[in-house]
Amino acid sequence: MARWGMVINLNKCIGCYACMIACKQEHFLPPEIFWGRVLTGEAGKYPAIRKLIYPVLCNHCEEAACVDVCPTGATTKREDGIVIIDYDKCVGCRYCMMACPYQQRTFYTNGKKEYFPNQGLTELEIIGRQLYPFQEGTVVKCNFCLERIDEGVERGLKPGTDREATPACVIACPAKARYFGDLDDPTSEVSRLISEKKAFQLHPEFGTNPSVYYITR
Amino acid sequence: MKPYEWMTTYTPQEEWIEKKGIFMPLAFYFGSLGGGLYLVSLYFNSLLGMLVAWLIVGVLKGGSHLVDLGQPFRSWRMVLRPQSSWISRGLILVILFLSLVALQLLISSFFPGTTWEAIFKVLAVLAALGTCAYPGFTLNYVNAIPLWNSAMLPLLFMACGLLGGFAILQIIGVFGGNVDLIGVEFGSLVLLFVTAIFIITYTWSASYSGPYGKMALKELLKGKVSPAFWLGVVLLGIVMPFAIALLGYKGMQIPKMLLFVGALGEIICGLSLTYAVLKSGGYRPLVPLSSDEV
Repeated sequence: MARWGMVINLNKCIGCYACMIACKQEHFLPPEIFWGRVLTGEAGKYPAIRKLIYPVLCNHCEEAACVDVCPTGATTKREDGIVIIDYDKCVGCRYCMMACPYQQRTFYTNGKKEYFPNQGLTELEIIGRQLYPFQEGTVVKCNFCLERIDEGVERGLKPGTDREATPACVIACPAKARYFGDLDDPTSEVSRLISEKKAFQLHPEFGTNPSVYYITR
Repeated sequence: MKPYEWMTTYTPQEEWIEKKGIFMPLAFYFGSLGGGLYLVSLYFNSLLGMLVAWLIVGVLKGGSHLVDLGQPFRSWRMVLRPQSSWISRGLILVILFLSLVALQLLISSFFPGTTWEAIFKVLAVLAALGTCAYPGFTLNYVNAIPLWNSAMLPLLFMACGLLGGFAILQIIGVFGGNVDLIGVEFGSLVLLFVTAIFIITYTWSASYSGPYGKMALKELLKGKVSPAFWLGVVLLGIVMPFAIALLGYKGMQIPKMLLFVGALGEIICGLSLTYAVLKSGGYRPLVPLSSDEV
């Protein structure tokens, strides 16, 4: 069984936020909900300052803290490593949000919030809520575009290689800074990049073994 | 916090303290308080105290949790994962506490002195200990927040619960309940001393929990949360009741109103401490910035 993972080349990332927008479009995410973000900051001291850009998303950790602490079993890890939330089981206790060292979960509280305040929901928003019926009072997060992966795999496509079976943020990246594939396959592009470019994970000290890697060279 | 600062610098947790999340410290404290009051009431054989403990856990703690939950009607599902989740374990302990204490109260009222009474008292004590300490374990499990990831927290929550238990029993005694006030005052004095030692140990150990633990500690002792700590915990919660209890222990006749105020301070101590600990908990940033040099 594959274990899906992502590699992000920070040298290629230009901080254009296309991944964030693609993710919002793909899942019709309501206002103020982001499954992927781009963090920017500065390192060093004037005049030797570097700008750092870190695109972040759910790390789909192998030893996911959110899965352990969920009291209802709403958060689970699939065989392919994708951490998912069953909105019908989530009670909204938010213990998973506390436990996630990467803070990649959001509590969805206001289902009536519109993109254009006091204008009503747009047709697109109405369609989105039918396609992705998020429930108020539950926690939401990135699902690695599992709809695309599942459908693609069913059709015999290869996630990470075939566009239709690859997460939206990877396809949207104009700088081709994101790579997606099977971490358990030593011949996959992601595995090759991880070993050749000495990729690193965010906060490995927590022992969560994230499936999202970063490379800086 | 500015949006661009999110997870690029020390980022305080908000979900269990802001908006509806304010019910979380209340629920945690009411759990410790109820468990502590039951243990103290059992020691001083006060049925009224035990009943109040049952009400605090059942109504105040249970109510606070239900208000805090996003989907309260599904709360029954929370007992399903005791193998890994402290929330599940906590709920099971609370259910056990409520059931066992209710049965014990009935047996103590109608069949006092029976073996069943002793059995249920022992079982209820175990459940009360769990109810008292589990909020500490719930926070302690979160290793992403350095200030919470301390083995002192369960002990601290338990001490605060017992201290609050002594305080409520003192209030019951002041208002005419059948309570050994001298014994309660002495116990209260000892617990105040123990709680103070625990708080000092906790803050001292937090200062060794890395740069972001230090930042959280700074927030607790010098930041926006500091009034809750210095005023609520130290002054109202420790110093004032300690002074009052010490005067009483030295043989001075203390007005009942002053005893009441001192007891109220002890309750405020636990509540303020729970609030302050939850409010100052924060995460290490994701981006390795110059803030790592703190």
